[in-house]
Amino acid sequence: MGDFTDLPRVRFREYCVPRGESMKHSLKLVVLIAALLVAAGSAVAQDGATVLAGPELTRVIPTGFYFQGLSAPTQMRNSAAARFGKDRYVISGLVDTSGYSADVRAKYVGFLITDAPITLNGESLQPGAYGFGFATEGKLTVMDLSGKDLMSVSVTNDKDLKRPRPLMMTADGGGVRLYNGKNYVRIAAQ
Amino acid sequence: MRQQIVSAVRITLLVSFALLAQTPPKKPESQQPMGGASTGAPSTYTSRRTAGITDPSAPVTFEDVTDKTPLASFRHRSGEAAKDYIFETPSGGVAIFDYDSDGRPDIYLVNGSTVAAMRGKEKAPRAALYHNLGNWKFEDVTEKAGVANERWGFSVAAGDYNNDGRPDMFVGNFGVSRLYRNNGDGTFTDVAEKLGLARKGWSTGASWGDYDGDGRLDLFVPGYVQIDLANLPPSPSDVNKGGSVGQNYCQFRGVPVMCGPRGLPGEGDTLYRQKADGTFEDVSVKAGVSDPEKYYGFSSAFVHVNDDKLLDLIVVNDSTPKQLYINKGNGTFEEIGYPSGVALNENGREQAGMGLAVGDYDNDGRIDFHITNFSDDSNVLYHNDGDDNFTDVTFQAGLGEVSIPFLGWGTSFLDFDNDGWLDLFVVNGHVYPAADAHQWGTSYAQQALLFRNLKGRFERVGAPPGNALANASPGRGLATGDLDGDGRLDLVINNLDAKPVVLRNVAATSGHWLGLRLIGDVAKKSPRDAIGSVAYVTTGAVRQRQDVVSGAVFCSQNDMTLHFGLGAATKIDKLEIKWPDGSVEAFNVSTVDKVITIAQGTGR
Repeated sequence: MGDFTDLPRVRFREYCVPRGESMKHSLKLVVLIAALLVAAGSAVAQDGATVLAGPELTRVIPTGFYFQGLSAPTQMRNSAAARFGKDRYVISGLVDTSGYSADVRAKYVGFLITDAPITLNGESLQPGAYGFGFATEGKLTVMDLSGKDLMSVSVTNDKDLKRPRPLMMTADGGGVRLYNGKNYVRIAAQ
Repeated sequence: MRQQIVSAVRITLLVSFALLAQTPPKKPESQQPMGGASTGAPSTYTSRRTAGITDPSAPVTFEDVTDKTPLASFRHRSGEAAKDYIFETPSGGVAIFDYDSDGRPDIYLVNGSTVAAMRGKEKAPRAALYHNLGNWKFEDVTEKAGVANERWGFSVAAGDYNNDGRPDMFVGNFGVSRLYRNNGDGTFTDVAEKLGLARKGWSTGASWGDYDGDGRLDLFVPGYVQIDLANLPPSPSDVNKGGSVGQNYCQFRGVPVMCGPRGLPGEGDTLYRQKADGTFEDVSVKAGVSDPEKYYGFSSAFVHVNDDKLLDLIVVNDSTPKQLYINKGNGTFEEIGYPSGVALNENGREQAGMGLAVGDYDNDGRIDFHITNFSDDSNVLYHNDGDDNFTDVTFQAGLGEVSIPFLGWGTSFLDFDNDGWLDLFVVNGHVYPAADAHQWGTSYAQQALLFRNLKGRFERVGAPPGNALANASPGRGLATGDLDGDGRLDLVINNLDAKPVVLRNVAATSGHWLGLRLIGDVAKKSPRDAIGSVAYVTTGAVRQRQDVVSGAVFCSQNDMTLHFGLGAATKIDKLEIKWPDGSVEAFNVSTVDKVITIAQGTGR
C-alpha cells in the first residue's frame, strides 16, 4: 500500500503534443488519426472481447491513477481488463480514495481506461482515461480527470450473481460486463 | 521501433478522442456512494440510534456488577482523548480463563499505552489479572502474577502451548508481543524472546491451534498497520498547520479525523509453528498465510470449516477482504475467501471487519461466522452451507438493519437463556470522538447489542431503562464465561479509555445446561487443552455443536469451558467428542446442570 506511482503523469507527458509543430504536421496527424480510428474501430468491432487474468492482467493495470489533483494507488485486487480484438484494451480498477476529500470520495471510486472507442450500455465513450463513480443511485458516472461529469449510464442489477466482487469483468457476447457488486454496465466495441 | 510508432499513434489517438469526449457534466441527483466502500452512505440524522435506546417492556437479562468488584478500579488507557492516530483506537482485549485451575474462571484485562510512555516519558498503563475467589469476589493478582505487560497491548489469546495443564497467554502488542508462560504457582514468565514469539509490529487478535497435527499448539497472529512513531501520519490537529496535507487528507464526512487504515501501509500476518523443542519458527510464507497483500488484520481463529480433522483458519481484516484458509494437510493452506463467499458481503463489498464470533447458530452441525463492521454498514452473518461455501444471511437472520448505526467490535455467540440455541452479543463503540459533535446518527459511546436466537433467526433483546444494556460505552473486547458457576454465561467488556463492565447474567430461564471441560491426550497428538476439539450434544431432535477455540471475539478469549443450554431437556441423549487428532468418542452423561471434565481416551 502507499505505492503512489507517477505512471499516469508519465503518460500525460507522453500525451502532450510538442509545441512548435507545424500546421502541416498537425493536419497530417489528424488525417492519420481519423484513418487509424476507422481501421481500429472496425477491427475491434469484428472481434470479441477477452477478459484478462494473471500476468496478462497485471501487465496492463496501472498501479496508480491520477484524478482531480491526486494520484492514488490502484486496488489491484479490484481491477479488471478486457482485450478487444488483437490489441485494444479496456482497463478498470478501484482506487484507494483515502487521500481525497469527502466530496470527491462521494463521487469517485475508480478509473476506466480505453484505447479504443467503446460503448457503455450503448452510449459512446472515446479512447481516454477517466474516473468513474456511483454518486447517483443506479447510475455509473464517467468523469474526466478534472472530475467533470461526462456521461451517466444506468446500471443493471444482476440479482442472480452468486459471488459478486467490488469490481470485475465477465464476457458478455462480443463485449464485457463491468461489474460493481451485483450491478453492471455493458461495454462493447464501437 | 515499429512498436514505438504503434504505441505513439495509439496514445495520440487516445488523447485526441479523450478531448473529443468532453461533454457537459450531468449533475448527480443524490449522494449514494457504492463501489466497494466499507463505511456506508453518508446520511444526516436528527437523533443518535446507538445510545439511550431503551424499552420499558424488555426483560432484565444482564446486571452490571462491576462496582461490586475490584475491576471497577481498572482504567484502560490508549493514547489521548482526541484520538489523532489510529493506534489509539482499537485496544482492549479481555480473557476469561482459569489460570489456576481452581474451577473458577479468572479475568485478564489488556491495557493500552501512550506515545509518551512508549518514549519512556511517563509510566505505562498496566494490564490486570483478577483471580476469581467465587461469589463475585475477585482479587487483583497482577503484581504477583507478573502479567502487567506495560506495553501497548491489544489482544490476548489463551492456550496451553507446553501441554503442562496450565493455560498460558499470548499478549499481542503494538511493539513487541509477549508469551506469558504459566508457572503453575500463580506466576507467569514472559518467554516470548526465548521461544521465538516476540513478534514486532502491531499484533492483533491471535489464535492458538495445532494446524499440523503434531499435538503441539501453533500460533497465528494477524498484523494490522505499519506505524512508525518517529514518522506519524497526519493528524486532525495538523489540519490548520502550514504545509500540512491535512486539509483534504483523512476525513470522515468532511470532518478531519485520524488517518487509516486505508492509505496507510498494512502489515502481514504470522504463523508460528511450534517445534519439538518447544521453540517456535515463522512458517507464514511456507504455509501460505503470510498475507502478502498486507490486509489490515484484526481477528483470527483456527476452526474446523469443513470438518475434516485439520484445523482451518479464518482471518478478519479491516477495510479489505476476509481470508479463509483451508488446511491442506501438508503444512500449507489454500486461501478460498472469494470462492467461499466469506471475503465480501452479499453485495460484493469489502467491509471493515473487526470482531469474529464462531458458532453453529442454526444447529445444522456446521460452524458459522458473525463479523462486526463499521458504522453505516451492517455486521455480517455467514451461514456455512457445507463444501466450503458460505452465504451472507445477515438480513434474513434479522441482524442487518439493526446493526447499521453501530460500529461493532467484540462479538460472541452464547446461549444466554439456555434454550439450546446460540444467541449473540455484540460490543460497540465509535473510533471518532467527532461522532458526538455531528448528526451522523451514531455516537462515540454505544450500547451493546443482545440478540435472542429464535431457531435460526435473531431478534434484538431490548434494554430496560437503567439496565446494563441501556448504558453506552466505548466498547472493544468481550469475553464470556460462567463467572459465578450458576449455569448462566456472564460477560466482561473491556472499554477504551474507561473502566470495564462486568455483566452478570440474571436472565429468568428455566433452561437446563451442561458445561464441558475437555482434556486432550498428548500421547495421541491432541493438545492438552483440547483446542480444536468439537463437542456434539444431542437432546431430542436438537443436536448442538460447540468448538474449543482460542482467540476470535475481538482480540479476546472466551472461557474454553463449553457451555450448552439444554432447554427443558433433563438428560443428554448423546454426547460425542471429536478430538483434535480426529478420533471420536461417545460418552454417557447421567446428570445435567453441572460442569463435567472429560479426558480423551479415558471414557469419562
